Amino acid sequence: MSEIAIGIDLGTSNSCVAVLRDGTVEVEVLPNAYGEATTASVVALRADGTITVGNAARANIIHDPAHTISSSKRLIGRYFFSEEVKKAQAICSYQIVEGPNHSVRIEVREEVFSLPEIGAMILRELKSIAESRLNEPVTKAVITVPANFNDNQRQATKDAGQIAGIEVLRILNEPTAAALSYGFGKGLAQTVAIYDLGGGTFDISVLQIADDVFEVLSTCGDTFLGGDDFDDRLIDLLADEFLERENINLRNDPFALEKLKVAAESAKQALSVKDEVEIRIPDVISAADGGSSLSIERTLSREEFSRLVNDLIQRTFKVCDEALQQADLVTRDLDGVILVGGPTKLPMIREAVEHYFGKPPKDDVDPDQVVALGAAIHAATLVDNEHNAFLLDITPLSLKIGVAGGLAETVIERNTPVPIEQTRTFTTFQDDQESVAIRVYQGEARESEGNELLGQFEFSGFKKARRGQVPIDVTFEINADGIVNVTARDPESGQQASTSITLSSGLSDGEIRNIIEERRSDRVQLNSELVPADAEALGAVRLVSQPVTSIPETKEALAESTPAPAADPPTASVEPSDKGIASVTPQDPGITTDPEPPTDDLESDDEDFATKVDRFEEELELLPDETLEPLEMAAADDVTAIMNDDDLLAMSRGPDLDPENPATQTSKTDAEPEADPDLFEDVGTDLTTLDGGGSENKD
Amino acid sequence: MSDLAPTEIKALVRIMDELDYYQLMHVKRGVSVRDVKKAYYAVSRTFHPDANRSLESDLRDAVERISKRVTEAYAVLRDPRRRQAYDRQLNENAGVRMQLAAAEAGARKQAQENEGLTPQGRQYFRLANDEIKRQDWRSAERNLATALTFEPNNESFKSMLKEVRKNVKYSPADRR
Repeated sequence: MSEIAIGIDLGTSNSCVAVLRDGTVEVEVLPNAYGEATTASVVALRADGTITVGNAARANIIHDPAHTISSSKRLIGRYFFSEEVKKAQAICSYQIVEGPNHSVRIEVREEVFSLPEIGAMILRELKSIAESRLNEPVTKAVITVPANFNDNQRQATKDAGQIAGIEVLRILNEPTAAALSYGFGKGLAQTVAIYDLGGGTFDISVLQIADDVFEVLSTCGDTFLGGDDFDDRLIDLLADEFLERENINLRNDPFALEKLKVAAESAKQALSVKDEVEIRIPDVISAADGGSSLSIERTLSREEFSRLVNDLIQRTFKVCDEALQQADLVTRDLDGVILVGGPTKLPMIREAVEHYFGKPPKDDVDPDQVVALGAAIHAATLVDNEHNAFLLDITPLSLKIGVAGGLAETVIERNTPVPIEQTRTFTTFQDDQESVAIRVYQGEARESEGNELLGQFEFSGFKKARRGQVPIDVTFEINADGIVNVTARDPESGQQASTSITLSSGLSDGEIRNIIEERRSDRVQLNSELVPADAEALGAVRLVSQPVTSIPETKEALAESTPAPAADPPTASVEPSDKGIASVTPQDPGITTDPEPPTDDLESDDEDFATKVDRFEEELELLPDETLEPLEMAAADDVTAIMNDDDLLAMSRGPDLDPENPATQTSKTDAEPEADPDLFEDVGTDLTTLDGGGSENKD
Repeated sequence: MSDLAPTEIKALVRIMDELDYYQLMHVKRGVSVRDVKKAYYAVSRTFHPDANRSLESDLRDAVERISKRVTEAYAVLRDPRRRQAYDRQLNENAGVRMQLAAAEAGARKQAQENEGLTPQGRQYFRLANDEIKRQDWRSAERNLATALTFEPNNESFKSMLKEVRKNVKYSPADRR
């Protein structure tokens, strides 16, 4: 019998865990303690210091938005100055702050959390769900990510797994997982497209399935397009109408905004089954005079909503065009289309997909579960070679190196199969240059700035010569795990320097160790510890409170925590009613009538929150420019000055670089808690291409 | 699961740098794209790291090196444009390995050459192409011949002229 390994779909809005049981070909979703297949990817930090994950945490959003973290997947592995983070800051009611090395942190109740830590809390909940269902410890998992996640985001997701005590067997692309689930054990010979519209991103993958071989032909995506954008359109509509009618901007009130969000999401879901939905938000805000409370009541038809989001749907097909072109196929060549992600349940999406592909999407897969099921299949094949599903994957984004002129030269094109290794020869840009900065990017832009910086390191120790006379071989490797490794080598002396690319803004091994030792995630009240009211009805559900001795963390967590009282009723507080009415009905009636938070403790917290919001908005205007400046400087005067004086070059590399031995420096070193303000300033763009590939040919 | 013997793996890694992509993939030159794919699946089954997780780490590293080279071979041979550039490199004895960027650059250069490298060559070649579409073989022959006076060594012009002449031979009008 081989070890159990689970599949986890760590989603933007909801997560799901599944397993392929040993000795079977049947793969199944493991429901949470309430019998639900998916668990909300939401983390709530309570005033008493406990942490709740899942649907109970989601129910908390509406009365305590500042301390409830949702959609954190949109932030994981991002730089603080990135567009996506700015967008999230505008929408999210919790506080997003800058951490070391331009990383993103979340500050809640005066505690600062990294994104992998938040992810780990969700993963820990899922792990515990699996353990209680399987009645045995689980330590291995395949975790899925959107296909267009870059290496930084993948590494950060892997870190989250490590913090949660999970050995991450593979970071798997979500559409690939869906294809595995669709084709596993069926002996198919088909070419299929996976149309994956999640909460935050859109991916399209084209795969060829030949019996047990799953070959990914191409993958394209849009990281700025997801179901949340559909909600945003509706929120904007409601907020604009309210502004016009009452002259109050609901967007400025975090509580009102949360109510709008919940109402928009419910309305969207209700429109999947109804032609028309009534949106009702009682007491959305108090009138300006402070007296009466105002409400929103409005009918929304499916047609009206379609018009609102039609351009978003059409944008997905532009990406589909690209993916098909990359695979050298037309829609006629496809045997099937598989839908993934909650938003694809919307009839308007299904209709648009059918129209574009000229065939109805397969409806024998559940868009909410198919990814976790595929991850479970892959997990089983990785621990046990008896299961036959053989995956030949590609790299979704081009891998590049920064060269002179602020450009990024492609070394491994996107949609190249992996594992792969490619070597390109570069040369110096200045006479007597003593060191070069190897900067590794991922993305499709020509200019280096338009791509994601994965990491950088210095290479020196080669002979001094006129510019263009020193060859430097740079080898890029992508292994089967999709992890990038870069080595620079002096072909004359054989000396080399290398780095595993780690997120410049990410966590070092040391930091991860510290986080694990801090054991903040022990404060997570695992929902699977709660005894569900209908435990009998769910069958023989074993709970984690039974001994799971081989996992020390769990054991200690159990020893420390008294049996957890049920924190919140399992039902989500906001649901479209049977009548197709999306109404916001918080479980605590005291909350609707009064926008003030329910407890004294929260109230005092909240005064603080109001001032925080003010300060936060000031920061919003200031920070991006300041943060971006170093990047621009890197491309401008400073660097020219640096490159004209090589002695200065070696010395001005920032405090973390040992001038005696610069060749051994890697991007891993800047992991100290203090931000290194020089991270982006100290980089010279001092490479040019020398080999025959690319634009510059030697003849 | 791979059933390779450790000695086989080590031997293959040693000679890998001497094998051309066809030898590595066990296919013949001129193999169809479909068969390249089949070969890629078969060879990957043996060498892909996922199929060799139970090996000891040094052997696993060796297998992964082979797997990376197989992927590279596949990325060249499955694309007829890149394959043409690679075949030319093989014919010139210029090495058995070709970086993908170089293959891509070679393919682009070849595409340019196919279209003609001089403005006049390109112009007459384009005229000839239109005439071929209309099956006006005689005019196409004339224009290709003219294109060749500007680019006497253009292989793509030459082979096209040869094809056109076959058709001219069977066309009902008198040959000049």
